[in-house]
Amino acid sequence: MNTYVVSNKQRNLLLSGIVLGIACLGWVYVNDDATHTRFWTNFLHNTVFFTGISFMAVFFYSICVTAWAGWSSLFKRVWEAFGMFLIVGIILMFIVFLGAKFEWHHLYHWADQASVADDKILKGKSGFLNLTWFFISSVVVTGVWFFFYWRMRSLSIREDKEGDPSFKLHHRQRVWAAAFLPLAGFTLTLVIWQWVMSLDAHWYSTLFAWYCGASLFVSMIAMTILVLVYLKGKGYYENVSTEHIHDLGKFLFGFSIFWTYLWFSQYMLIWYANIGEETVYFKERVMNYPVLFYTNLVMNFVLPFFILMRNDTKRKFGSLSFVALLVIFGHWIDYFLMIKPGALHTAHALGGAVHDHDGHGHDAGHGVAETAGHATEHVSTFVSGFTLPGFLEIGTFIGFLCLFLFIIYTVLSKSRLVPVNDPYITESLNHHV
Amino acid sequence: MVERNKDLIFGLYDDETELISAVKQAKEKHLDIFDVFSPFPVHGLDPVLGLEESRLHVAGFIYGALGTLTAFLGMTWIFTKDWPIIFGGKPHWSVPAFIPITFELTVLFAAVGMTVTFYIINGLGPGVTNPYLHDRITDDKFCIAFDSHHISESDAKAFFKATGASEVGAKHI
Repeated sequence: MNTYVVSNKQRNLLLSGIVLGIACLGWVYVNDDATHTRFWTNFLHNTVFFTGISFMAVFFYSICVTAWAGWSSLFKRVWEAFGMFLIVGIILMFIVFLGAKFEWHHLYHWADQASVADDKILKGKSGFLNLTWFFISSVVVTGVWFFFYWRMRSLSIREDKEGDPSFKLHHRQRVWAAAFLPLAGFTLTLVIWQWVMSLDAHWYSTLFAWYCGASLFVSMIAMTILVLVYLKGKGYYENVSTEHIHDLGKFLFGFSIFWTYLWFSQYMLIWYANIGEETVYFKERVMNYPVLFYTNLVMNFVLPFFILMRNDTKRKFGSLSFVALLVIFGHWIDYFLMIKPGALHTAHALGGAVHDHDGHGHDAGHGVAETAGHATEHVSTFVSGFTLPGFLEIGTFIGFLCLFLFIIYTVLSKSRLVPVNDPYITESLNHHV
Repeated sequence: MVERNKDLIFGLYDDETELISAVKQAKEKHLDIFDVFSPFPVHGLDPVLGLEESRLHVAGFIYGALGTLTAFLGMTWIFTKDWPIIFGGKPHWSVPAFIPITFELTVLFAAVGMTVTFYIINGLGPGVTNPYLHDRITDDKFCIAFDSHHISESDAKAFFKATGASEVGAKHI
């Protein structure tokens, strides 16, 4: 079983998941307030999350190639498949860009010319926070990522057919991978600042990109574990052993702690200095999103830390898959917390008194007004879709997840699962921790 | 603690794959191996020898938890009861400020505790010299040793010959 076959059942399941996601997005759009903030935040949230996972897979793939790492060669096609989602990411982020340009949405405060003219801080940042740079980060940079990914992928596929003992193709791949690493490091920062941090346009944190990157990295590892366990359950990848899964489990454990370290570093410095322009970020989240704020820490640090501390929980597929699921959802919530509050503030500031366009969307309209208006004054009531993910948010998440998996499985079916002629394949087959 | 006052019969092997297959054969014949010595950790030797997983990490967890409690409760007592000082307008019981020190003490207690425990369990420490069977075990030879009370000399020699040991010897330690 060296080529993956997408069964009809699986295809139908994933397609119906995608339809569910579109239906949820559509439902949100119709019942949203006039600025469609809930729709656009959901759209941006999931796009950033899954594009980030895809980017991280390419990034880690490049690290493995550059570092001459052998253990992962056996299942490198999984990461190659992850990378293909970048093309979807480019399209979706281009839609967000068009939305900002033609004012379909008001996610970004800096995109509103009138506010920028009146606002000293936004004016000062307008050299970077403008539509040109947003286009560069959303389409040009992601395009460059995809180009590098595509070069590495095609070399890897060519190696299957024309690889020889001189490993010429692998050496060429290594050049691309090594060149990608510094580029990826800097551009990820640029992209995260534009896509996520600029939602709180007045606020900034120099650590933010690292923290987002760690979040995406953990999600990517968790997704890899789930996909591998699934494929093994279907009878593919019989050579991927407990040893490989154990190593991925160690990455999941270690980088969960790394994420917590960055989260806490950012939090503690802001808490300690207690400067208003910085604390506004956390005050908003602790006061108005208390459940998510602490759930985030429990799901992404406390539970993975204590469950994966033991050797055997990292080696058993059941416990490891459970933690992987938990962590993916946990980091999705993490991104929810990064994206929703800032966008709501902006929507309120720009929309003034936001009115329901048909007087029907009671929840949504009041949600925006309430949360944003009294954000810094008192704890608001919980509003599904704004201060807590509602069913429609979960549905959208499932839709995007199914789209992601659909692309992965389609790409996996296009080439051999286990590469041949890879210089490290023998090492990977005999991997032992 | 290494057991002393034993008469050991040992065989030396040139290669770790020979060592592992020899250990497997010894287990099949139910020979009672006293110990195996090697210049470096051999992958896959522990399960073949039937060694249980070390419980050192359990001790490590307990030491770490002890460190966490010491730091956190210690600082809580110091900053709320013993000597309350206001730092930068923060409350006396400022959890975020305690976290880095709690982390440090957790690591310190776990690391020091595990090291000391490891040394005690293995009878190591300053001034301790452990006996060794053959000089080259610390260089490039792999050794299986039997207690001479548990195996006859002829049986041991036959076993070493059958499994391809390059040298056989006996030593009292």
